[in-house]
Amino acid sequence: MAIEIRNVEKTFGAFTALGGVSLDVRSGELLALLGPSGSGKTTLLRIIAGLDHADAGEVSFDGQDTRDRAARDRKVGFVFQHYALFRHMTVFDNVAFGLRVKKKAERPAEMDIRRRVDQLLTMVQLSHLASRYPSQLSGGQRQRVALARALAIEPKVLLLDEPFGALDAKVRKDLRKWLRHLHDDMHITSIFVTHDQEEALELADRVVVMNHGQIIQVGTPAEVYDHPADSFVFDFLGGVNRLNGVIEAGVARLDGKAVRVDGAVGADGPAVIYVRPHQVELGVAPADGVPDGKWSARVSSLHAAGPVARLELDLAGRALEAQLSRDRLSDLALEVGSWCTVDFRHARVFPAKS
Amino acid sequence: MRLALIGLAILFLAAFLALPLVAVFSQALAKGVGAFLKGLADPDALSAIRLTLTIAAIAVPLNLVFGVAASWAIAKFNFRGKSLLLALIDLPFSVSPVISGLVYVLLFGLHGSFGPWLRDHGVQIIFAVPGVVMATVFVTFPFVARELIPLMQEQGVEDEEAAIVLGASGWQTFRLVTLPNIRWGLLYGVLLCNARAMGEFGAVSVVSGHIRGKTNTMPLHVEILYNEYNFVAAFAVASLLALLALVTLAAKAALEWRFADQIAAAKR
Repeated sequence: MAIEIRNVEKTFGAFTALGGVSLDVRSGELLALLGPSGSGKTTLLRIIAGLDHADAGEVSFDGQDTRDRAARDRKVGFVFQHYALFRHMTVFDNVAFGLRVKKKAERPAEMDIRRRVDQLLTMVQLSHLASRYPSQLSGGQRQRVALARALAIEPKVLLLDEPFGALDAKVRKDLRKWLRHLHDDMHITSIFVTHDQEEALELADRVVVMNHGQIIQVGTPAEVYDHPADSFVFDFLGGVNRLNGVIEAGVARLDGKAVRVDGAVGADGPAVIYVRPHQVELGVAPADGVPDGKWSARVSSLHAAGPVARLELDLAGRALEAQLSRDRLSDLALEVGSWCTVDFRHARVFPAKS
Repeated sequence: MRLALIGLAILFLAAFLALPLVAVFSQALAKGVGAFLKGLADPDALSAIRLTLTIAAIAVPLNLVFGVAASWAIAKFNFRGKSLLLALIDLPFSVSPVISGLVYVLLFGLHGSFGPWLRDHGVQIIFAVPGVVMATVFVTFPFVARELIPLMQEQGVEDEEAAIVLGASGWQTFRLVTLPNIRWGLLYGVLLCNARAMGEFGAVSVVSGHIRGKTNTMPLHVEILYNEYNFVAAFAVASLLALLALVTLAAKAALEWRFADQIAAAKR
């Protein structure tokens, strides 16, 4: 099912949770709403589910306005951050809940309910725990019960609020992979909210980056990572060097030397140059000074475990992180305290915020 | 230090709670079981017992419904006047029961605001059973609500939202999700409410008029008998009242013991 969101606004008292948000969710895609807390991502998810109501704007499912459809009639699957499992019911009864509360005319026979729940529990690999209570399960198991319960009503869209937020790192990674496979099998339109950029980039078909109740950028993980719309997205996706420079006559400069940058340069004035660690090019320092157009830096620390080496460099008093292959590192023969030249393969520049 | 504290607590409880309780039963049985039973079998005493049970049977279910409704509203919704409603729920706790009774006399008594109208229509509230019921409902109102509000606030609304998204109606959500989540708190509230409904003296005393065989409840009957120096009968009724309280406490303790694991699970 496709979802169209048009100019949705929502305020809580004096706080603007959503300031006119528009978004098209394509049928069958797995979409991530990514942003810091207070960016409005959870509010948007709850408005789609019908748990909150927009002050203005509209949300439509396959072209049909949802304004008059209460949450219980929307047929959405919602997985809550803390699972919200019914603690006095067994795993089986939790999953069966959505089927048992249907109106008599639509309710499947008890035998069909059993078969369906068994099927779902097999799918989430929890058949052996059907008669347990939620308090007897681990976090990852609860999460899967919550998912099975949401899927029981055969929803047209699956909404997940910070689905992995309360889990430890290992379980998180496994569950992430598992959810991706599940989505590939079922192709149900899914939207999940997260503040973890790694999770969004790894799991989603498309990522929506939000901040202060606005959508900043929408794109595939590669688009968002390689072409961040602004300095916020760059900062939020993380793993980036920020170097203070200037823009003079349309040229970005760091310590007086020109920096080749992608995209627009912006107005003259103080600026921040963004470079990802793997875009930092290192070279052997020549004996007779630094070649023109390059910078020189000293290695302050070096981590060479795994296939990639990470270097902390001191570039005229600024900390700079660089990543390069182990082979390249041994070619350069760098160690802590040695000097090298620095260049940037790709960099972006944004005016510094005053 | 620990022993001293425990000893002090036990000593205090023995002196101020256990001793009087023992005294009640020993006084009641001072002239033998026959006199004790005779005191209870008196028609006026039987009438008082019947009235007390009737009042509890009306007041407790009423406050069960009001209490759940008020706690639901306060814990799960935000609205104007919420703190006012909270303060009102506490009013019966903070106001002297005598005043609660007097308020009803002022409203519904012969010289009260609605008195003449009620008299013209042949309805008697003050010095009659309806007045006693109303005063009891008023005094026992906070017990259920006060027990449930913190519990429901702590549990939040996620479970209810989950049920609604899964397609449950409001009533299904309440019956299948909310009620099971609060059942232990609700039971405590009801037990406490019941104990107070049976034992209330002050407010009931003001509105009842002490008409023997008609508007006398057990606590009022105990006082009348005592004032007539009929000690054995007075303590016989009093011991029955004390017994009801003990049964309530025992029921609560038994339930807590029997369902300890479920109660712990409900709090998580």
